[in-house]
Amino acid sequence: MAYDYQAVHALDGTIGAISERRANHLAVHRATAIAVVLAAPGQTAEAAGILVANGEFEARFSGPGEWLILSEVHAPETLCAELSVRLGDFAFVIDQSHGRVALTLAGPDAARILANGIAIDLHADVFPVGRAANVLCNHLSVNLARTAADSFDLVVMRSFAEALVDDLKTMARSHELSVDFATR
Amino acid sequence: MASLIPCPHCGTRPRQEFSVRGDATPVRPAPMAADEVWNDYMHVRANPRGRIREHWQHIAGCRRWLVVERDNFTHEVFSVSDASLEQGGAR
Ligand SMILES: [Zn+2]
Repeated sequence: MAYDYQAVHALDGTIGAISERRANHLAVHRATAIAVVLAAPGQTAEAAGILVANGEFEARFSGPGEWLILSEVHAPETLCAELSVRLGDFAFVIDQSHGRVALTLAGPDAARILANGIAIDLHADVFPVGRAANVLCNHLSVNLARTAADSFDLVVMRSFAEALVDDLKTMARSHELSVDFATR
Repeated sequence: MASLIPCPHCGTRPRQEFSVRGDATPVRPAPMAADEVWNDYMHVRANPRGRIREHWQHIAGCRRWLVVERDNFTHEVFSVSDASLEQGGAR
């Protein structure tokens, strides 16, 4: 029997249709290609060298020998194929495009909002642009990356996305925040 | 500073990001060791006050197993290292 599968975003029906964009904005990405790369034993340096940022994808540190790869230009299938070719036997590649949700929080109060739920120092000297880390946001483990002085990316497991957005709204209660899907 | 753990991979983090397994000092006996030896290894634990070594996992961070040496009375942390170093691990 044949099934028709429909791609439904984890946050479809829970966000969107905002009347105005506020000073701080949380943009939920609809179709970011995401993969997890785990270096083969003893091959961390080789894998890291191959993953050095280029225009096609971005590697975010998540643990020793482990990275989250995000791409806005690749589709999930082509990202994994590309990474597998580049990394060869140096690492294992697992597609997470439908397993995680990527969000971008940007605005003058972005760091203050995050500080209401994340217990790491977000000062630009300690957590500069380009830095990424797995952190606890209230009760959820997320990958946090600073993409600009006042812009952060969060990557969370799909089934926790709704809870994370709710948490971020609470964390932003004393700041102006709007939430919507990203347009591109 | 009582509840901060300096992870060697992630930096200083709150203890809520970690999960504690317990005493890191018992050494696993040989497979055919006597029942009494296995019983000691499995069930018998000292309950010291002071400086102890424990296995902690950085669940919400790098997810690596760590050996944390701390004082269970003052909560002072003396050292934190990746557990694989103890075994001469691959990373
Ligand atoms: Zn860690």
